Amino acid sequence: MPLIEIKNLTRQFTKGGETLTPLDAVNLTIEPRDFISLMGPSGTGKSTLLNLLVGIDRPTSGQIVVHGTDITRLSRARLADWRAAHIGYIFQTHHLIPVLTAYENVELPLLLLPLPAAERRKRVEIALEAVELTDRADHYPRQLSGGQEQRVGIARAIVTNPTLVVADEPTGDLDPRTAAQILKLIQRLNVELEMTLFVVTHDPQVAAVAARRLHLDEGRLIEAPGADPVPA
Amino acid sequence: MFRFAPYVLKCLWRHRTRTGLTVSGTAVALFVFCVVTAVQEGLDRLTHSAGAERTLVVFQENQFCPANSRLPEDYAPAIARLPGVRDVVPVGVFTNNCRASLDMVVFQGFPSQQLRAARPLELLSGSFGQFEQQPDAALVGRAVARRRQIGAGDPFTVGGVTVAIVGVFASEAPAEENFIYTHLDFLQRAPGRNAVGVVTQLEVQLAEHADPDTTATAIDDHFRHGPVATTTRPQGVFQREVVADLAETIGFAQWLGYACLGLVFSLIAATTVMAVQDRIKEHALLQTLGLRPLRVFGLVMAESLLQSLAGGLLGIAAGLLLLSWWGFSIGTEGVAIALQPSLRLAVWGGSVSAGVGLLAGLAPGYQAARTEIVPALRQA
Repeated sequence: MPLIEIKNLTRQFTKGGETLTPLDAVNLTIEPRDFISLMGPSGTGKSTLLNLLVGIDRPTSGQIVVHGTDITRLSRARLADWRAAHIGYIFQTHHLIPVLTAYENVELPLLLLPLPAAERRKRVEIALEAVELTDRADHYPRQLSGGQEQRVGIARAIVTNPTLVVADEPTGDLDPRTAAQILKLIQRLNVELEMTLFVVTHDPQVAAVAARRLHLDEGRLIEAPGADPVPA
Repeated sequence: MFRFAPYVLKCLWRHRTRTGLTVSGTAVALFVFCVVTAVQEGLDRLTHSAGAERTLVVFQENQFCPANSRLPEDYAPAIARLPGVRDVVPVGVFTNNCRASLDMVVFQGFPSQQLRAARPLELLSGSFGQFEQQPDAALVGRAVARRRQIGAGDPFTVGGVTVAIVGVFASEAPAEENFIYTHLDFLQRAPGRNAVGVVTQLEVQLAEHADPDTTATAIDDHFRHGPVATTTRPQGVFQREVVADLAETIGFAQWLGYACLGLVFSLIAATTVMAVQDRIKEHALLQTLGLRPLRVFGLVMAESLLQSLAGGLLGIAAGLLLLSWWGFSIGTEGVAIALQPSLRLAVWGGSVSAGVGLLAGLAPGYQAARTEIVPALRQA
């Protein structure tokens, strides 16, 4: 049974009296442990698809079925609960909360789950260890480098052991060396932790590490023929 | 929700100057509200006390200031013979100021054997025995003693009247603690008073089933053609009429107190709106991580409530401290309104702070909860 099924997904916007259709009857199936990259020119709707996938945007029509539940029909509150339990989001600009330490930022999604403090502590420590930032746990975002901030963002995304981890240009703000490190880390999530990944990127190098490579153009999703992922 | 308490506190700390100014502004406003409410409470206590309906005050007709009311002392036995009257106490009143004052000193002269029956006083220092033996002895209310920094053993002079303080008392009626009790015949013979055989007022204790209005009418009718006509009213009515002008000012001040609450509302709402606008992206992030909109609303409400409560509690604490420390009273024409700290005042002030904080958080909380996630995350 597929993890996620996207059926005839359409998203339209009205801008200056003109109707834009970045996604036009898109279909996609995501299996558990898939590592999918999505490329395409700017403004083609890559981020729109990702936002629909995690339920922070609503489609004009179509369905997104996750474990048999059509999330497009959920209320805003139920969608929030669903995201807390099933989604890890890695942002381009990491979006850490400045008043919280690295530890507290990673713990944030766990506060929404019914977990005792000891279990939360254990999970945060594991997540920080996975991104090799145990020694920076008490640092505030302003005390971290860009790469370290992104690793905290990744730890926050994986700490709940989500059904799906999505990443929006995860290396877009980083220098090439740091980008390579982050890319390696993302690949490890899939290979070692067996997480399902959906990565939106402009960078062919990032796309190349994914097992499935999608291209979005003029509202249509095209899957590149099977190719072995390139090690990061 | 309590799991997010550190986040809420850190957000307030992040903008500590803004938070500090909001809290201090709220504290000042709630301080004013607390003092104004204490005045209103004092007025209510004065005019609705237990004895307000069962004690009549006989005053010279058309007079309110103690200095102008001069009744023959022998009216007392005449009144005592009227039906419905249980007891009559002649009282001489001397005050340093007939106008509204924050530091009015009122001497009340009683026949020494009647003081203890007429006024249930609790002596904090000194003794009734010494009071009864010494002609110029005086018992001083706790509030006056605190305000004037006097105590047992001190002489005290106001307006040419010098008394020897032999005790300090507390009373169940806070207004009483603003009086100085002395002997009636001493006050009548005080230098410049020339009031032997004359009293300021007569206090009439009613018999159990006597009707106050009927008895008051009977007293006034009895003296209508006497040497001095009288006006007799229940104590509560008398006090309300004496402080009527002051009550109007107090009523106006109460509106100023409500205006202070309006100020707190605006202050907290403005600060919370600024905080929400600063953190649109942060609230969108929290919702992306899985916070329900209602929880985001709750976080904003908590920030608003905390600021309002912190400021409110500071202001109320300062107000109560000042009231208990200083023993303030507002008096006019020999009647004192005691400003007293009370648990009711503290609870009321705290509740009002919380209520204003919650109200002020509603609009910003709604704004934060309704944030459209995608556009907010895209903000620079």
